[in-house]
Amino acid sequence: MTAAETPLTPETEAKVQEIGETDVLVGIPSYNNTDTIGHVVRAVSAGLAKYFARSRVVLVNSDGGSSDGTPEAVSRAVVDLGTLLISEQQSPLHKIITPYHGIPGKGSAFRTIFEIARRLKAKACAVVDSDLRSITPEWIELLARPVLEEGYDYVAPYYLRHKYDGTITNSIVYPLTRALYGQRIRQPIGGDFGFSGRLAEHYLEKHVWESDVARFGIDIWMTTEAIANGARVCQSFLGAKIHNPKDPTADLSAMLVQVMGAVFALMEEHQPVWGGVKGSNPVKLFGFQYDVGVEPVNVNVDRMISSFRQGLADLEPIWREMLAPGTVEGLLPLKDCPLQAFRIPDGLWARLVYDVAVSYHHRVMPREHLLKAFTPLYLGRTATFVLETQGLTSSEAEGRIESLCQAFEDRKPYLVERWGAGRE
Amino acid sequence: MKEFWEKALLGPLETLSRSVLSVLPNVLAMSIILLVGLAAAWSIGLVVERLLRVIGLDHLTNRLGVNAALTRGGVKADPSHLLGRTVYWLVVAFAVLAGLGALNLQPLNQFAQSFLAYLPRLFTATLILVAGYLLSNFVSQAVLIAAVNAGIPPARLVAACSRWGVQLVAVAMALEQLSIAQNIVVVGFGIMFGGIVMAAAIAFGLGAKDLAKEFLEQRLSNKSRDRAPDDLRHL
Repeated sequence: MTAAETPLTPETEAKVQEIGETDVLVGIPSYNNTDTIGHVVRAVSAGLAKYFARSRVVLVNSDGGSSDGTPEAVSRAVVDLGTLLISEQQSPLHKIITPYHGIPGKGSAFRTIFEIARRLKAKACAVVDSDLRSITPEWIELLARPVLEEGYDYVAPYYLRHKYDGTITNSIVYPLTRALYGQRIRQPIGGDFGFSGRLAEHYLEKHVWESDVARFGIDIWMTTEAIANGARVCQSFLGAKIHNPKDPTADLSAMLVQVMGAVFALMEEHQPVWGGVKGSNPVKLFGFQYDVGVEPVNVNVDRMISSFRQGLADLEPIWREMLAPGTVEGLLPLKDCPLQAFRIPDGLWARLVYDVAVSYHHRVMPREHLLKAFTPLYLGRTATFVLETQGLTSSEAEGRIESLCQAFEDRKPYLVERWGAGRE
Repeated sequence: MKEFWEKALLGPLETLSRSVLSVLPNVLAMSIILLVGLAAAWSIGLVVERLLRVIGLDHLTNRLGVNAALTRGGVKADPSHLLGRTVYWLVVAFAVLAGLGALNLQPLNQFAQSFLAYLPRLFTATLILVAGYLLSNFVSQAVLIAAVNAGIPPARLVAACSRWGVQLVAVAMALEQLSIAQNIVVVGFGIMFGGIVMAAAIAFGLGAKDLAKEFLEQRLSNKSRDRAPDDLRHL
């Protein structure tokens, strides 16, 4: 399906015709978010009024068929600009509240937002999650202004997070994305982004809207697609991200299947791009950075290590299929070492993640089995990180993540060599 | 004397030679069919083997765990070669049956017809066994990984049970297809399967009632099933 065929409802078509063109467009995908979306809409409205008072602005809510009155909540949400000391906006805020078509998921919601941005010839766009509790009007400026005034194509979020918050990002997605594409984007799967109208058109032209990207994995897809296509990329410091917990029934292994499956699938698509990249470059960070205490996180290292050890006892034959022999040998001493000495070193972890990527590429076993069998390994590495950083502040722990990233970059030739080789 | 020679000696010889002459074309036809059949079997077997290698069957079966299973079972040949040889022997069997048919002997014809009628069942049963074996590998691997991720201690036992369960169903279906002791197989399988389910239910009810209670509570109260060992946010 081409970009021109992306369907919109007749009401949305009419509204788009009526608006004509816009400078800034903010999209909010939603599904049963009536509790939180009012706050998000008010923050976005205030942000647009305060920072883009002279621009033509549009807010789009792309809803997946909510049954709890989410679209009505969007429609009702208004902000009193006077109490925020914001002088009256010169151009009115247009709201488009539309259902999306296609496979249910955040990706399909984004597709509708991209399509509306394309038809309105939006110069700068931003998307924010509908379950955010910590969003402020400043987020809109930080996500849209680098595009509108600095000529960037893509703005990734940079959140203030607890050292044990976002462990999949810290131990896998960030080091891997950075080593592959050479750009130090700290939160590649953040969920809130800014992008140019040109990039939105590029996204629409990709034939991914009937795939898993439409359901999940849209965040890493957008980031990777932007980097791999040479878009100008930057980051914006947004402060803490506090939001409703994700689907409570989703378990860890399903989460890993979704995230790692998306990253590895993108590796297959962009191999010509990342194959020749060496090292990495810092990415411009906008916004005023600060450091405050964030919510404490309870961590049970014993249970993580026992999960890893059960994996080593029961899944060893499967791990031997998916990992290189040297990698498995490196894990064996962890079977009965003292708890405080338990460590999966950075170098071994980098090799291990590369082995799993290669096994995914070469389809050594059903891909879902491969990614699910990775769960105890991930828990072992998370336990290592917790043990190593117990007494450290979040910024000191960031230094450990930097070392891990370096290990990924140093061992990249190992990945390139194994990726290109046939199955062993 | 002349009449004696003609009736007693030349007569039987003449009958015999007529019989031999009448059978000789059939024997000749059988020989030709056999020779052509053997040549066809050899070449078809070879072509099939090469074709399967070209389309990468061995890689596919390796991924599905078939090659490893064959090695464990003492079979050193790869699946392409095995299938090539299977086709070879099938064509040979057809050639032999066709050759015997050319002799036009009643008992042999009946045997050939029975054998040919049985072939589809044999083929279906083989397919069921192969599919059952592949499915059992897939299921047991999935169960093992899920059980380990769920922290169930006897994960390997659970996976082994699932493997044997699937293979048991496949064997029962194959025997039923071959019409071998159909009633015994169906009844035996029913008793065994029912017994296993009942034993599992009793074992679960008695040995894991707390686990069942916790599971149902989580389900009914819609609490998180996330097995994350704490309140880590992974993403």
